[in-house]
Amino acid sequence: MDFRPSRMAVVANSVEAFIREFFDQNPLSHIGLATIKDGLAHRLTELSGSPESHIRALRSNLGSSGDASLQNALDLVHSYLEQIPSYGHREVIILYSALSTCDPDDVMESIKKCKKAKIRCSVVGLSAEIYICKHLCEETGGSYTVALDESHFKELLLEHAPAPPAIAEFAVSNLVKMGFPQRRGEGVVTICSCHKEPKTGGGYTCPRCKACACELPTECQICGLTLISSPHLARSYHHLFPITPFEGGLATLPYNSLQRLPKTCFGCQQVLPNLGNKSGVRVSCPRCKQHFCVDCDIYIHESLHNCPGCESLRDFKREGDATSDSNVFSNKRPVLFVGQQRN
Amino acid sequence: MASATSNPYTDDVSLLIVLMDTNPYFWGAMNGAAAFSQFLNQVLPFLNSILLLNQLNQLVVIATGVNSCDYLYDSSRVGHESEKRSTKGIPGHSLEILQKLEDFIAKDQQLSNSDEAPGKICSLLSGSLSLALCYIQRILRTGPVHPQPRILCLQASPDGSEQYVAIMNAIFSAQRSMVPIDSCVVGSEDSAFLQQASYITGGVYQKPQHLDGLFQCLSMVFATDLHSRRFLKLPTPTGVDFRASCFCHKEPIGMGYVCSVCLSIFCKYHTKCSTCGPTKQVPPRGYSFSFTYGMAKWSRLCLRPFKFFLRCLVCGFPRRGMDLRIFVPPHTISLRVTSNLCSAKI
Repeated sequence: MDFRPSRMAVVANSVEAFIREFFDQNPLSHIGLATIKDGLAHRLTELSGSPESHIRALRSNLGSSGDASLQNALDLVHSYLEQIPSYGHREVIILYSALSTCDPDDVMESIKKCKKAKIRCSVVGLSAEIYICKHLCEETGGSYTVALDESHFKELLLEHAPAPPAIAEFAVSNLVKMGFPQRRGEGVVTICSCHKEPKTGGGYTCPRCKACACELPTECQICGLTLISSPHLARSYHHLFPITPFEGGLATLPYNSLQRLPKTCFGCQQVLPNLGNKSGVRVSCPRCKQHFCVDCDIYIHESLHNCPGCESLRDFKREGDATSDSNVFSNKRPVLFVGQQRN
Repeated sequence: MASATSNPYTDDVSLLIVLMDTNPYFWGAMNGAAAFSQFLNQVLPFLNSILLLNQLNQLVVIATGVNSCDYLYDSSRVGHESEKRSTKGIPGHSLEILQKLEDFIAKDQQLSNSDEAPGKICSLLSGSLSLALCYIQRILRTGPVHPQPRILCLQASPDGSEQYVAIMNAIFSAQRSMVPIDSCVVGSEDSAFLQQASYITGGVYQKPQHLDGLFQCLSMVFATDLHSRRFLKLPTPTGVDFRASCFCHKEPIGMGYVCSVCLSIFCKYHTKCSTCGPTKQVPPRGYSFSFTYGMAKWSRLCLRPFKFFLRCLVCGFPRRGMDLRIFVPPHTISLRVTSNLCSAKI
């Protein structure tokens, strides 16, 4: 029942998938990798936002040996994360396969230090449940899960990719200075500051120091300004404006109205069977009252984050300048306009 | 045992979903009914040619109206009575599209609120994009054997800024399902949303200059299936503007302040974020400035000892002071030196 071909191979594959999914869901975040080997913890990669460098470092360092030391790992993570400004969310995920921990000192002190620094520690175990991991996760507010097999392990790890909800009182808002570079047209030759080699066209120009960067999001190598593009911010807007869950079942409707129900799903035009009390076959949106099939429901709520019925009806739209300063937590969406093309 | 021909869908079979803009405010403002019928004269033969390119090609047409969106035509629906009735050389499915289009526009007009002043009315692109993506998911669910899906937007009306979040959600979902969104903009101005859509999903963005040449543009650029695009040189975007607009003035900005809680964008530093309300703010620390060595007088005095050669941080070549751009990061007294050649000239 153990992981095939080896635990390390399974973990490496799952971590690679996790890194890609993480940057897909959180484009403005950074990841750093660390390994626990021979009772010591080592930094594998620094905190950065580029998935390729992490995956490369991961694939070249797959050796394992010696004991695991939870305290050294927590101390390393603490030194990694304490420089992060207060508006950043600090988190660590420990993939733990050992059944014990060999620490030089008191591990409870390290746990208290992490709790004080507001680092949320989660553990995904591969062998059995260990009390110290459970205690660590309970103290810091993380989650402790133990994998039963390979697919379960991947599922548990990918659950950590979407951002956890933040508590409103502790979310101090800061206005962080960021740059929105423009993409250069084809045919312009410059030297990029990340690879130090000439590039023809493509790439982005830092608005502050005019240095050239190859990809976004990144920090400008010369002036240190965070460079992002508006799609990166827009990727997180679906958390701010969630759609209402659909209501299912036909049990509450009287028999007469069952005959007048739409025969096809509004989203994909699939024929919806309409047999008596068969609830769960169709769902409907409480706002626009359109009917959808169950597959569309899953797709809409997990990936699309738009209800096609609400988006296709003008009554639910609010236009004009009245919404320009609307409150984020109301039903209205803010008016966001992305600039015109530069000629 | 599966034979080599068990998969009827070769690489060049495509499922094309066309989102047709039927905004009467835009088409009416042009030459009246003549412009829209001329548009249809170009689009309907293009739709026929898609079905002719491969026997297994599938076509779905969705209308993007001002008050609603709906499916007009689906070539895979069983029971094509339309194929039997061809009148005067017009194929049956074109007649079906025209008939459904007429019904749709009549229904769309009925839904409009007469109190609304017809200013800059835009069509519901987010609605039709969502419908198209739901349909594509249904096709992808049937298994590994399916035609290659793609979306073509024929957009005439300008961008509606209230649809920004919904359109971006649809774009990211299309990117994840690897469905390219092509855009053919027949309106007067470029559409920033569709430029981003085509850039992010790997589609083609084109704004033809004349409505007369629309069929040529459609058949040369947008009729190609995804497999053949690897061998063809299609129009590349001249530049995509990813700048965001600030919430206070709606002006595009190159540098701004982003709230760490709600991600609202402001052009100047405020003590409180206007969208998520008054919370404790930490003011920015340190200042930074940059200047070109040759231009600032006092800088020449400060850097007098270094007036001959400084090494650029990017290319590593030592350069004379006149060719340098110097940047002082906040909270430091260090100089970050880059040569003018390594910095973009705007």
